[in-house]
Amino acid sequence: MNEYDNPWLHRLKWTYLLLVVLTLMIPVLYVMYISFNANGFGANDYVFTLEWYGLILSDEILIGALRWTLTLAVVVTLIAVPMALLAAKYYKTADKKLFVVFLLLAPLFVPPDILGSALLVSFKNLNAVFIWLGDGLGTSLFDSWFRLSFMTAAIGLIIYTLPYSFVVILITMGRYRKEQTEAARACGANGWRAFWDIEFPQIRAGVFSACAFTVILVFNEYTRTSLLKGGFDTFTTVLISQMLNTGMSPQSYAMSALISFVAIAVIGSIILITLIRAETLARIARGKPEPVTP
Amino acid sequence: MASTTSNSVGGQTNVRSVRPVLRERLAPWAFRAPLIFMVIFFAIPMAMTVVFSVFERTMFWMEPGFTLQAYENFFFSARLTNFLNSMKYSLISVVICFILGFPIAVFVRKSIPLVAQHRVVLLFILPFMVSEIIRVFALRPVLQRNGLLNTTLTNLGIIDEPITALLYTHTGVVIGEVMSFLPFIIFSGFLAMEAVPKFIFEVCDDLGVGPWRRFKDVILPLAAPGIFAGSVFIFVNGLGVALLPNILGGAGAVNAGLIATQAISALDFPLAMAVSAIMMATLMTLLWIGHKLFDLTKILTPLS
Repeated sequence: MNEYDNPWLHRLKWTYLLLVVLTLMIPVLYVMYISFNANGFGANDYVFTLEWYGLILSDEILIGALRWTLTLAVVVTLIAVPMALLAAKYYKTADKKLFVVFLLLAPLFVPPDILGSALLVSFKNLNAVFIWLGDGLGTSLFDSWFRLSFMTAAIGLIIYTLPYSFVVILITMGRYRKEQTEAARACGANGWRAFWDIEFPQIRAGVFSACAFTVILVFNEYTRTSLLKGGFDTFTTVLISQMLNTGMSPQSYAMSALISFVAIAVIGSIILITLIRAETLARIARGKPEPVTP
Repeated sequence: MASTTSNSVGGQTNVRSVRPVLRERLAPWAFRAPLIFMVIFFAIPMAMTVVFSVFERTMFWMEPGFTLQAYENFFFSARLTNFLNSMKYSLISVVICFILGFPIAVFVRKSIPLVAQHRVVLLFILPFMVSEIIRVFALRPVLQRNGLLNTTLTNLGIIDEPITALLYTHTGVVIGEVMSFLPFIIFSGFLAMEAVPKFIFEVCDDLGVGPWRRFKDVILPLAAPGIFAGSVFIFVNGLGVALLPNILGGAGAVNAGLIATQAISALDFPLAMAVSAIMMATLMTLLWIGHKLFDLTKILTPLS
């Protein structure tokens, strides 16, 4: 706040800001509230229970779906985040920045159903082409490369999560000064050592945030996964098909709440860690003399 | 050339085996790998939608050929009306998001200390990171006839009869779009406001310029690229996210995403591809217009 501002107006604006956050969160909080009610939605009396959560954890289909979701999340993170890191490093030195950034950020602007449909039809056609190719060569080696499977779902999700990781990593890289890499190289370190020992520790926070984002995005995603997956179900696809077919049951409230709890826990801890780290760094910085800037 | 510099800079001569040379040759390609991946699995499939859209429809799939049947199906049916309608409601959502969200971005940039700004914006990551599907579904128990909003308003004595227009109508879809995409206008507005230095507010105050003129003549032109990018994002997603009309909309609430997914369920793949191609054309046209008007590369300044 600066001295021109009216303190009451300032407080009013803060209230508005927090009110907007609260409004955005209310549906989710309400679902969480309902999920603990033994009588479900719309009942007159509220009886606290963990029964619905117990039902989820004893449902084998759901546990299987949860396992698929986690596997998908881990695989996509392990591929997409290093790719985003490579892309960010490439972007920093690229000549045609516009092309690079357009290609990497465009998936953000393509709606899920459109991306999903386009990839679905492409994969089906690619699969047909590969089978035709295999038939021509007299081999069945290519037959199942692009059949809808875990891999096709993973590819779709990598395209979806890569832009987010790319932006997060690029923002943290903005604070890194490349003279440090030059210094390391001048001291005889090879490219990898200079990256791993000097640059990576400084962008680690961004890379970890990108990992957390990717895990959450994959965990939350429904449309792309459901269009591109093979014969398996993820947590959200089970949930949404239940909701669309039979409406909201107490169990679906509990499942929705569970997904939200996971996301909030992960993001909440990132925000907390960031705040604590910023505090510690500020405390350390206060004890040091001002750095010399060129 | 690379080997001579690294030898002389290190001040030592090292014996080079074949492996490091090979590695140095491969390394530049490793950095290009993400781009190659995106070209193969994103750019080409999106471009191929145009080709697939003119293929002939067969019973369960499609076969190469040239027919404009899919476009005819789209342009000479209720689909076009639905599409244009969803454009209208999507535009309304963009305007509401802007009115509700952009002042927050300005407030954060103007009145909150630099170190705290990112933390305040992080607050909006929280609702954004809860699955969009869950947030959209969660609107049902809130907006329903006997939902949270209606019961609260009735208990407070503000209304006598529950409002039923909130769900399974176009209003429901607009509410869903605003609730889903509001964080985006705040993020993009926040990035856009990077182009508006803080002292501009003080200069305006010193010159006695009122808030409206300051917004119209100073902030808006400077922050236009970011605002435009955020608005295009919301507009296109309002057109393309099938679940919004599917879950919150009633009769006639059909957007491009829903037409595409319904076509896929009906095994009419060329139609789905035609809708995708039309959506991509809409998106590209909007981005091109935006680029001509405001030079969208300006948004990237904080990134490079």
